[in-house]
Amino acid sequence: MKPDIHWLDDPEVFRVNQLPAHSDHPFYGNYDELLHKKSRYIQSLDGEWAFNFAATPADRDREFYQPDFDAQQYDTIAVPGHIELNDYGQIQYINTLYPWEGKQFRRPAYSMGQDRPETGTFSDGEDNSVGMYRKTFTLNESLQNQRVIIQFLGVERAMYVWLNGHFIGYAEDSFTPSEFDLTPYLTSGENLLAVAVFKHSTASYLEDQDMFRFSGIFRSVNLIAKPELHLEDLTIRPIPDENLESGNLNLTLNLSAATAPLSGSVTVTVFDHAGHAWVHQTVEAHETVTFTDLPFDQIHLWDHHHPYLYQLQIQLLDAAGNLMEVIPYRFGFRRVEIKDHVLLLNNDRLVLNGVNRHEWNDQTGRAITLADMRADMQTFHDNHINAVRTCHYPDQIPWYDMCDDEGIYMMAETNLETHGTWQKMGAVEPSYNVPGSLPQWQAAVLDRAKSNYETFKNHTAILFWSLGNESYAGEDIQAMNTYYKTVDPDRLTHYEGVCRNRKYTATISDVESMMYAAPKDIANYLEKDPQKPFLNCEFMHDMGNSLGGLADYMNLIQAYPSYAGGFIWDFIDQALLVPDEITKQPVLRYGGDFDDRHSDYEFSGDGLLFADRTPKPAMQEVRYEYGQFD
Amino acid sequence: MSTANSTKLHVIYGDGSLGLQGTNFDYIFSYERGGLESLVQNGKEWLYRVPKPTFWRATTDNDRGNHFAERAAMWLGTDQFLPCVKVAIAVNGQPIPLPIAPENNRYSDHEFATTVTITYTYETLTVPKTLVTTAYQVAADGAIQITARITGQPDLPELPVFGVRFIMPTPATQYTYTGLSGETYPDRLAGGVPGTYTITGLPVTPYLTPQENGMHMRTQDVAITRTTVLNNADPRQDPFVLRLTALDHPFAFSCLPYTAEELENATHKEELPLPRRTVLTIAGAVRGVGGIDSWGADVTAPYHISGETDHQLSFRVESVESD
Repeated sequence: MKPDIHWLDDPEVFRVNQLPAHSDHPFYGNYDELLHKKSRYIQSLDGEWAFNFAATPADRDREFYQPDFDAQQYDTIAVPGHIELNDYGQIQYINTLYPWEGKQFRRPAYSMGQDRPETGTFSDGEDNSVGMYRKTFTLNESLQNQRVIIQFLGVERAMYVWLNGHFIGYAEDSFTPSEFDLTPYLTSGENLLAVAVFKHSTASYLEDQDMFRFSGIFRSVNLIAKPELHLEDLTIRPIPDENLESGNLNLTLNLSAATAPLSGSVTVTVFDHAGHAWVHQTVEAHETVTFTDLPFDQIHLWDHHHPYLYQLQIQLLDAAGNLMEVIPYRFGFRRVEIKDHVLLLNNDRLVLNGVNRHEWNDQTGRAITLADMRADMQTFHDNHINAVRTCHYPDQIPWYDMCDDEGIYMMAETNLETHGTWQKMGAVEPSYNVPGSLPQWQAAVLDRAKSNYETFKNHTAILFWSLGNESYAGEDIQAMNTYYKTVDPDRLTHYEGVCRNRKYTATISDVESMMYAAPKDIANYLEKDPQKPFLNCEFMHDMGNSLGGLADYMNLIQAYPSYAGGFIWDFIDQALLVPDEITKQPVLRYGGDFDDRHSDYEFSGDGLLFADRTPKPAMQEVRYEYGQFD
Repeated sequence: MSTANSTKLHVIYGDGSLGLQGTNFDYIFSYERGGLESLVQNGKEWLYRVPKPTFWRATTDNDRGNHFAERAAMWLGTDQFLPCVKVAIAVNGQPIPLPIAPENNRYSDHEFATTVTITYTYETLTVPKTLVTTAYQVAADGAIQITARITGQPDLPELPVFGVRFIMPTPATQYTYTGLSGETYPDRLAGGVPGTYTITGLPVTPYLTPQENGMHMRTQDVAITRTTVLNNADPRQDPFVLRLTALDHPFAFSCLPYTAEELENATHKEELPLPRRTVLTIAGAVRGVGGIDSWGADVTAPYHISGETDHQLSFRVESVESD
């Protein structure tokens, strides 16, 4: 297949040759690797890559992926990282309008009519900068002579991948893993990986989140070898019985083999904290292996205060009995449901003392580290924060593990926001809204939902699938809701945007969600026979010196059983630490400080934490008020 | 000059000011500047410019979003330019004519009193205008009771804050207060833990854009420590302390190196001047900060300060004996 630059313009092309999304389970070659959390099958490609920048698609090096291309003049860039924070492209912060506001006239493909595909809108875009990345690597011994895929954990916003001059594939959706099979083109010697990252594509319409607008490979890149027998996908369904004292475990494993026919064995064990094995079964390996209703005659429930997780371990042996893989996963029993319009967890009313959390570091932007995540989790603990909305995209995988471990309720949001297509200067104006009910945009948003679900489906912490943020409502988002409800009967769906288009109230979102509703308006809703529990997907806009009146929201908890709390906007200021142009001292800068226009200036400074992760004074109020209902 | 009588104030009927002296204190109340020009305790000057009533707070992001700053803008001009229209003096409780020449020719350099009250009246630059008074009642031991009062008027916009602002010549090294922990506002104080707290230096809360910050609600007293003066003949750097104590009701205060206007004009903290002064605001009424959103939602009603009703605060100022 030949790559086509016009894929950038086509909302119906968003993944080419990409491997299907699957569960985020780790896997190890043996128990020692498991103990040290170091898998022989993974080879990190993080580090210095060769790099060149083109301001427009027309300026790009068209042959840069060829092994014989002369890249001696290329710079180096650190992966992961943002191109703009390496000073190739201009840093820009903008909230709801699109980043090309005032510079490019655009309309989304087909939004002005079925005969308006808007060809060229991005492939010829004067604002569509291109990062050309080259990386040479030699496979580690432990990856040689196996199936090898490449995994990009986060790339903004559209990328074409080549290996040794061969086109490998194309991907959008910046915040979920993108994987491609490299096996046919790998050599045992030096390999050349080339990635062209475009700042804009039709995905740009779907990623209009209120944040600094970056591009580049901003999360890790890994080579992953699949042993002879490999667990491709794992679905864990722990289901408490009605009495919440016992339960059942259901597992579905999808296996692949390097050579047909698939053979070997699968051993599944489940341990509790005391080391007691609740499950220990060995079965013959097949492409699909299921374990149905494995009984637990007594269970420990998982919740915020007692995040009890069972340890699942899966062992794959080949036909000769050689250990191929060990897969660990922790899961918990819990039941989230709505009964009589009240949100319940394990049959107790659930109140969300939550925050919205962007991934942010004041020096590296959205390329955050485990240390950042751990610090954030500590802040949650110190301040009685029990819930997080992954606004407005999937986060790095370890954050979900931490939330499982620490009992943090998650609203796992799909990477979707099309704010500028339906709201302008505060007014609702959806004349060119996407995805809306446009058929050409539906597959892309469904794929985003699928990637979110498939990747994170086994995380006990996730109670809600959120369809996205501020994208209005139509048939396409309705289809996302249907998708989540179909694949996952155990969780709730959430979407706020349906309150902007009430036609879909019955078919989108299990909860009534609003943002920034005044306490009296919420009370008004709750007084009038609410058909859904109410939650604030965003409230208490903590911009600058703010967070006055939190008590007025907390008072709703006791007054109304259908009030489920919410998520403060937001956790951490988005600002960048850069040298002051006069004093050279490090200072925090925001939108407009990089001559970036149109901008929304300091509007990104809404956190409970300053951008350097020190708490704002308002945090003591959160600690107190959330602590009343912890 | 005699200050031997420690149970009485020595009164100096000057031509542009009224001086009051006693053991370890010297005060000068200016007729020209419209306020207390000099507050010297134990030889250390505490004032850089005369204290005045204060009405403005540096616009918060929420104030900007809900246009409160626009509705209240006339208080900014008043805060910056407040004219004094009258000075009244009472000695031992008895009003006297303003003692400037030739009225003061009848006094000597041996004039004493048990109490002297100087009341400054200011006229706001608002439409409609209103009157604001600051009364300084000085006792023989040098303690000053300050009472500030604003008279409400129909149609006056709501106030960002009402209090008295002191600007001290050099930056404080620390302050200690008895009140609530952390930065608190009327609608954000439930998490404040009562106690006595010492803050080192003059920290400015580093909001992304400089704005109102550092308020401490429900305070019983605050003691400011400095170590330096501008007096070229006084190179000592030993600490000295001034304490302000609430009377009748607790007050709110902030202690920062900047005025509201300085904060107002900066878009980043690095644009603020080098910290040179101590700006102490003692407030009797503080508007809430709000939080429902930052683009229109108002602070909820209980946390507004009406411009149509009277507001008053009272507190005592005294030196703290050094150890």
